[in-house]
Amino acid sequence: MPESPAFTVSEFIDVCNDALDLAYRNIIIEGEVASFKVNQGKWVFFDLKDDQSSLGCFLPLFQLRVPLEDGMKVKVQGVPKLTKWGKFSFTVKSIIPVGDGSIKKAFDLLKAKLEKEGLFDPLKKRPLPDDLTKIGVISSTQAAGYADFIKILNERWGGLNVQVAHTGVQGFGATEQIIRALDYFNQQAEVQVIAIIRGGGSADDLAIFNDEKLVRAVAASRIPVITGIGHEVDQSLVDLAADIEASTPSNVAQLLTPDRQAEVRNLHATIMRAKNQLFSQINFISSSTLGTLDGAKRQLLSNITAELSRLEHTQKILEHLNPEQVLVQGYAIVTGAMREGGEVTITTADKLAKATINSIKERSNNG
Amino acid sequence: MAEKLSINQKIAKLNEAVEWFYGDDFSLDHATTNYQQAIKLAKEIEKDLLGLKNQIEVIDKDFTKE
Repeated sequence: MPESPAFTVSEFIDVCNDALDLAYRNIIIEGEVASFKVNQGKWVFFDLKDDQSSLGCFLPLFQLRVPLEDGMKVKVQGVPKLTKWGKFSFTVKSIIPVGDGSIKKAFDLLKAKLEKEGLFDPLKKRPLPDDLTKIGVISSTQAAGYADFIKILNERWGGLNVQVAHTGVQGFGATEQIIRALDYFNQQAEVQVIAIIRGGGSADDLAIFNDEKLVRAVAASRIPVITGIGHEVDQSLVDLAADIEASTPSNVAQLLTPDRQAEVRNLHATIMRAKNQLFSQINFISSSTLGTLDGAKRQLLSNITAELSRLEHTQKILEHLNPEQVLVQGYAIVTGAMREGGEVTITTADKLAKATINSIKERSNNG
Repeated sequence: MAEKLSINQKIAKLNEAVEWFYGDDFSLDHATTNYQQAIKLAKEIEKDLLGLKNQIEVIDKDFTKE
């Protein structure tokens, strides 16, 4: 039997790596981090272990997007590899912390780091545009949170153009998809706001929203970002980096849109305001007109009173000048021919007498 | 042909119409006509508001690939 051709060592290692790659492409392993170290500021090494075994892991530092410490539980995705020195290791592509303790630890470490860099600075937060017509949504179209968002959005308002980037929202690969969707919207520059939507889930499910690269992508977005991730109690670093953090997907819809029913109520109130003002104006003009009429009436009465008073005064003067009044006081009126021998008539208050004039002489002025 | 106004433009127009009742230009001669026009505009806005639909498009792009 002919002897098979011999591999060189390098060829054999390559064949082994091809077989490993084929058999275990993107395999996910869960374990506890031990012996974590960074060499030359470029390479990350750690062991992933359980109570019986340990696996050496490696990745370039720039791919480490979650702070690691010994004792943290993580899931790693990557490929097993035989090095050219014949040592077996696991080349890590991505890491997600698992379990509440590890997630909290990774969250606190990364939060402190990014906070120091100013990624969560409240002064950098941008408001929502006033006249919102185009919204970019990043979510899984299969997710309940997305359905809630669309339902509330449609109930509240209309006329919006909503562009949806369908991505994963949990597990390995989801962060890269969300980052690509963010890039897509930022390059298209058609939408006015980007909403990242993800309904409630376990701490493990939501852990991808604490990925450093994703948090940085959100903070760097040219278009304002609003997040609705998980429930009210959940807070991720992506939430902190976003311009606006809504408590839930439904709350994103509430913050982005006015409520059409409330707008209808406002319309009714506006018309009522016009109606009330119209009545108020009519009342004002009416009372003002009545006031004018009242003034005219008062003036007329005043004029009449003054006229009556004048008439009364004139009447008194006339009465005073009446000759009969003089006669009553004892005087007499003499009429007739005023000459010697002339006949005159003497009128008193109650008598008439005929007389003849005996003599006449001139009367001096002083009587 | 009259320009088609957006809902916000119509609401702004309605507010302006209502402000007329508060302004110096108010006159009883025009009040009834202006009030009826405001009501007509409000009904039009209400109809628009309740009839508005959103356009939702799922982007035809696979974000799982670079």
